[in-house]
Amino acid sequence: VGVTSQKTMKLLPASKHRAAQKVVIGDHDGVVLCFGMKKGEAVAVFKTLPGQKIARLELGGVLNTPQEKIFIAAGSEIRGFTKRGKQFLSFETNLTESIKAMHISGSDLFLSASYIYNHYCDCKDQHYYLSADKINDVICLPVERVPQITPILACQDRVLRVLQGSDVMYEIEVPGPPAVLALHNGNGGNSGEDLLFGTADGKLGLIQITTSKPVHKWEVGNERKRGGILCIDSFDIMGDGVKDLLVGRDDGMVEVYSLDNTEEPVLRFDLALSESVTSIQGGCVGKDGYDEIVVSTYSGWVTGLTTEPVHKESGPGEELKINQEMQSKISSLRNELEHLQYKVLQERENYQQSSQSSKAKSAAPPFSINDKFTLNKDDASYSLILEVQTAIDNVLIQSDVPIDLLDVDKNSAVVSFSSCDSESNDNFLLATYRCQANTTRLELKIRSIEGQYGTLQAYVTPRIQPKTCQVRQYHIKPLSLHQRTHCIDHSRPMNTLTLTGQFSFAEVHSWVVFCLPEVPEKPPAGECVTFHFQNTFLDTQLESVYRKGEGVFKSDNISTISILKDVLSKEATKRKINLNISYEINEVSVRHTLMLIHPKLEYQLLLAKKVQLIDALKELQVHEGNTNFLIPEYRCILEEADHLQEEYKKQPAHLERLYGMITDLFIDKFKFKGTNVKTKVPLLLQILDSYDQNALIAFFDAA
Amino acid sequence: MLLPVFTLKLRHKISPRMVAIGRYDGTHPCLAAATQAGKVFIHNPHTRSQHFSASRVLQSPLESDVSLLNINQAVSCLTAGKLNPELGCDVLLVGTQTNLLAYDVYNNSDLFYKEVADGANAIVLGTLGDISSPLAIIGGNCALQGFDHEGNDLFWTVTGDNVHSLALCDFDGDGKKELLVGSEDFDIRVFKEDEIVAEMTETEIITSLCPMYGSRFGYALSNGTVGVYDKTARYWRIKVKSAFSTHALYISVSETSVLIIEISFQSKNHAMSIHAFDLNSDGVCELITGWSNGKVDARSDRTGEVIFKDNFSSAIAGVLEADYRMDGHVQLICCSVEGEIRGYLPGTTEMRGNLMDTSVEQDLIRELSQKKQNLLLELRNYEENAKAELSSPLNEGDGQRGIIPANTKLHTALSVKLGTEKQAAHVELCISTSNDTIIRAVLIFAEGIFVGESHVVHPSVHNLSSSIRVPVSPPKDVPVDLHLKTFVGYRSSTQFHVFELTRQLPRFSMYTLTSPHNASEPVSYVNFIIAERAQRIAIWLNQNFLLPEDTNIQNAPFQVCFTSLRNGGHLYIKIKPSGEITVNTDDIDLAGDIIQSMASFFAVEDLQVEADFPVYFEELRKVLVKVDEYHSVHQKLSADMADNSNLIRSLLVQAEDARLMRNMKTMKNRYMELYDLNKDLLNGYKIRCNNHTELLGNLKAVNQAIQRAGRLRVGKPKNQVISACRDAIRSNNINTLFRIMRVGTAPS
Repeated sequence: VGVTSQKTMKLLPASKHRAAQKVVIGDHDGVVLCFGMKKGEAVAVFKTLPGQKIARLELGGVLNTPQEKIFIAAGSEIRGFTKRGKQFLSFETNLTESIKAMHISGSDLFLSASYIYNHYCDCKDQHYYLSADKINDVICLPVERVPQITPILACQDRVLRVLQGSDVMYEIEVPGPPAVLALHNGNGGNSGEDLLFGTADGKLGLIQITTSKPVHKWEVGNERKRGGILCIDSFDIMGDGVKDLLVGRDDGMVEVYSLDNTEEPVLRFDLALSESVTSIQGGCVGKDGYDEIVVSTYSGWVTGLTTEPVHKESGPGEELKINQEMQSKISSLRNELEHLQYKVLQERENYQQSSQSSKAKSAAPPFSINDKFTLNKDDASYSLILEVQTAIDNVLIQSDVPIDLLDVDKNSAVVSFSSCDSESNDNFLLATYRCQANTTRLELKIRSIEGQYGTLQAYVTPRIQPKTCQVRQYHIKPLSLHQRTHCIDHSRPMNTLTLTGQFSFAEVHSWVVFCLPEVPEKPPAGECVTFHFQNTFLDTQLESVYRKGEGVFKSDNISTISILKDVLSKEATKRKINLNISYEINEVSVRHTLMLIHPKLEYQLLLAKKVQLIDALKELQVHEGNTNFLIPEYRCILEEADHLQEEYKKQPAHLERLYGMITDLFIDKFKFKGTNVKTKVPLLLQILDSYDQNALIAFFDAA
Repeated sequence: MLLPVFTLKLRHKISPRMVAIGRYDGTHPCLAAATQAGKVFIHNPHTRSQHFSASRVLQSPLESDVSLLNINQAVSCLTAGKLNPELGCDVLLVGTQTNLLAYDVYNNSDLFYKEVADGANAIVLGTLGDISSPLAIIGGNCALQGFDHEGNDLFWTVTGDNVHSLALCDFDGDGKKELLVGSEDFDIRVFKEDEIVAEMTETEIITSLCPMYGSRFGYALSNGTVGVYDKTARYWRIKVKSAFSTHALYISVSETSVLIIEISFQSKNHAMSIHAFDLNSDGVCELITGWSNGKVDARSDRTGEVIFKDNFSSAIAGVLEADYRMDGHVQLICCSVEGEIRGYLPGTTEMRGNLMDTSVEQDLIRELSQKKQNLLLELRNYEENAKAELSSPLNEGDGQRGIIPANTKLHTALSVKLGTEKQAAHVELCISTSNDTIIRAVLIFAEGIFVGESHVVHPSVHNLSSSIRVPVSPPKDVPVDLHLKTFVGYRSSTQFHVFELTRQLPRFSMYTLTSPHNASEPVSYVNFIIAERAQRIAIWLNQNFLLPEDTNIQNAPFQVCFTSLRNGGHLYIKIKPSGEITVNTDDIDLAGDIIQSMASFFAVEDLQVEADFPVYFEELRKVLVKVDEYHSVHQKLSADMADNSNLIRSLLVQAEDARLMRNMKTMKNRYMELYDLNKDLLNGYKIRCNNHTELLGNLKAVNQAIQRAGRLRVGKPKNQVISACRDAIRSNNINTLFRIMRVGTAPS
């Protein structure tokens, strides 16, 4: 199968319990393939002709009958197939954008494109809603159990929007941008109102949607820094009568959670695949009577994980195969390969010949790249994930802003940094990643500095003939470490920056988009807009309120305001707009920010000190034989040695970053006063080296 | 999947690469490893050690089955094995920067304790060539020394640079072992006794070597490469993700200190230890590698494919094999720096080649389907291409989709550029397309000439053009393959064509042809006779130098003149009709390189050379004088120290006496004196340290000089020169030494 999108594989319901089910899958070439497994081999039931890229595939049917009609969303069109592969429906929606998400319930069809949500009933337009930010997924509580139709939208701005008709009933804030929604237990749980969500930063949660307000039931964090969640299914794989949660992530992890007595999820097992998991479902495919987890991955692999029949335990392993069948399968594959190889050789010659003629052109064949560039809240760094359908040969990373590339354990590519002459060619970073054979997914970690902005470009070259490469661009915004939040502490001392001038609402919005991540590109509806942000590194806040002709930015961190001021004035000059910038600096805020930094800095300093001592203490221990003579503090360090070292290794250069922030704060504070204090920076660093909170605050006040 | 058969957690750190297993009492295998603070610990799980009760060995307070051995100096290498064939048990050999100790653990006695001025960076034990008794061969600064069980120095030779790894292997298949030496100048040299039979140049410092079987051996480099050689041909190599220092600071630090940082920060990943072991019981050894990030993997000796892997929580200190459980099966034993030890039993024959989780068939099917997918994709690409060809004529809009004329060709040219004020002299690689398409970026993968393994040229959007000039300056005179990847497209393209090609940089690319008369001829020269026609010599010149165009070389006699781009030194090569060749250069290394290159090109086996390098020889003479000086200073300082320590003893006694007599004033005075004396001693120590490092540096220079003199000759004369030089140094006959270097033979 070709490259697949999120949620494009389903299992057709079986005629009887635990009979073999068939798999339907739609790919980027627009092909819908339905196949079943017979004696370990895939037998196609039907296959449609290629068309537009399939974004979603859902099953539907008349309520309370087996849901065995196949619906696909491709472009702006919805098509329906029976389980035999006959097309019975083709419905051209009036959406201008292509469909991103779809949900089907009886004759109700819920569709969403990037920003638009539509509800159709029997192909008739019922409701319409324009969301403020990108819609990632749409779902509706089961109509047969809940009295009214309650569609829920998962929006990129960390909000679930619960709709009623065409209006928002209420909004629910979730810990990360929600990527996928699913009904608990497949039917909404006991009340029919339980909703599961998975976020792009790897968190999982359950919420009960009542008619008046949401009830948070539980959330699972992402301590092990795994990838974002792409698909969720509920299926009783453990065989204990309770449905388990199957979760597929974009770093190839498949996880099974089961619910304990208190309805809290417990991780039962996990398995790492090499590519992102686009769809997951529990069912019975390979062999009658044994449950399996069927997953499809980005480049179009369908894998079944079975409950191994050898051990009756539900420890799942790879699919059971019989040797002889394997042999025949391999030999047939070999034949096919030889044939193909010959064909390719011929084509290659043709290609070579065509390159002799002067008229011919050669096109760089396109290939699809699945990429993600996200901010990690925990260590305030960006992670860039690149995934290609074939093996990657090398990736060239080029950036025109100073950034740090961090090491990622998972990636096995050989990194090599190249020297760059920054002045003439605007290069601040040039690095190549040479990948090992069969790497289709590459993960990088990037640390940016606030205030420095520009673009990062990745040139991806896959291992395929003729060799081509594709460029991807990522913007590093001036306030790159900020994240959207929805609540803000108003009691903090704030610095204010006010803009006034002859600019339109769209213009001021575009500036905000330019400065801050996670803001929708389209100006939201309404006259006046408010966004709240939080700095992931320092936990300082930013509030931006703007409308036509006026913009007000408030932050407790002077540096944030200073960066905004610089960038905004530069942007405005570029567009030749006359801006009046006025600011109001709150002296207390500096002290406040220092207080915010203080615990972090102290912790890091202490950690560094402790780690330094470990080796010496260990030697003493060896020498003296016991640790009784040491003071308790040192004994404690020795006991926690492993833990401390791990902690220390996890956050390289954390201290340096904090120092940098304090220095910026210092310079910015006095910049607003109109004095240049660059000469005093060495003095500041001296104070930092022998850190004492009061001395630092005194220095800030005195200078 | 292979699971460890035992796991031990010792509460001692293990220094990297310093672990050995020996049967010190003749029967029980014990693990010996160097730990912190100049100690060696011996782990003996079999007998509760009663016999380790002597002064040198003390029971570890932490574990009952570990005993500690105090060396009082940083241990730099360690091994164990049978040194004395008559003695029934293994001997522990510990090398430090100045000494080599052969220690009989069972009897608690020293076999010998030798001072080795060149230090011991690596050690290997075994029989070498025709020498009958087993030797403990240590590699130090440019020198190799072999000792027998009485401490007699039976083997001595020099090598090009500081030795980092040693191994014994039957390299040429004659049933006798040859010595493999990996050194800091990236070379692996093979010694058949004291004759160099082969030299392989790698791209980084060789940190480990291990014999596999027959003439095959494994190697590991400090940049994370591991591989296998069969004789002089590389079988395979792989490079694992390496070199990732988060702070730019460390890049500028010198080579040796980078190594130290690597180990302490563990931010770089490289092979710590390699070992050959038949893990899957197929009769052929696999190369087992222990990495600095705690990974252990076993790779097939033929393909380098990983057949087994495991993970430790900290860096691997060593990989060994022994029958550690005494049950008749040999286990693979991996030790981590934190003292964790795991033993693995080789897989049974049924499991052959099946040590990974998933079945082979599953993998094969996956691989085949992947191949099929790739081929199908390629096919589709060609089809798309054909479609594109039929569509409208070329316009700029096509550029976006990455369509370029099919006859676009890439030209590359190498030329020598003389330095300007802004830029030092370099070799220039010029890449240009044949039409209006632009080059977005150039990636050059080549090892050994850039800081990393690649160099990128990525012009800014305003400076895009159809040609790019890349300055290249190789630091060493070795031929380098440049693998170029060029991204070609149009200005607005988001998809580019990748042109891949390989250019070879000739060995002496950093020398430019100049006219003979505008430069004075260097006084130093080498003179030799090769019976070859002038045309052949011209071919050699063309292949090894970057000549402007096919320089027309007439018949002999002729002469060519080059200028070095690195230091502006001159190089003359004169050929007379008789086949006599004279190379004039002040750089003795360059002369050696030219002779070795010519010898291999013309397949000359033995070549006697007459050489004279007055400037270099004068320097060497000074160095030799200095060595003598340092030696005498060293002796004087040692005597002073002995005096001082006697004084201390008496002062201490006096002070204590005074205290007992309650004469506080005298006591105070004595302790004051003691304090002063202590300060003196510390100062003296610093002086001694400096003296020692100076001495080491000079000795290295001497060893290098001998090596260089050897490199001026080929084959038998080369070995004669080295051994004759050595004799001359032994008898302290400096004039003879220079005569040998000049003429190539010892005066009879």
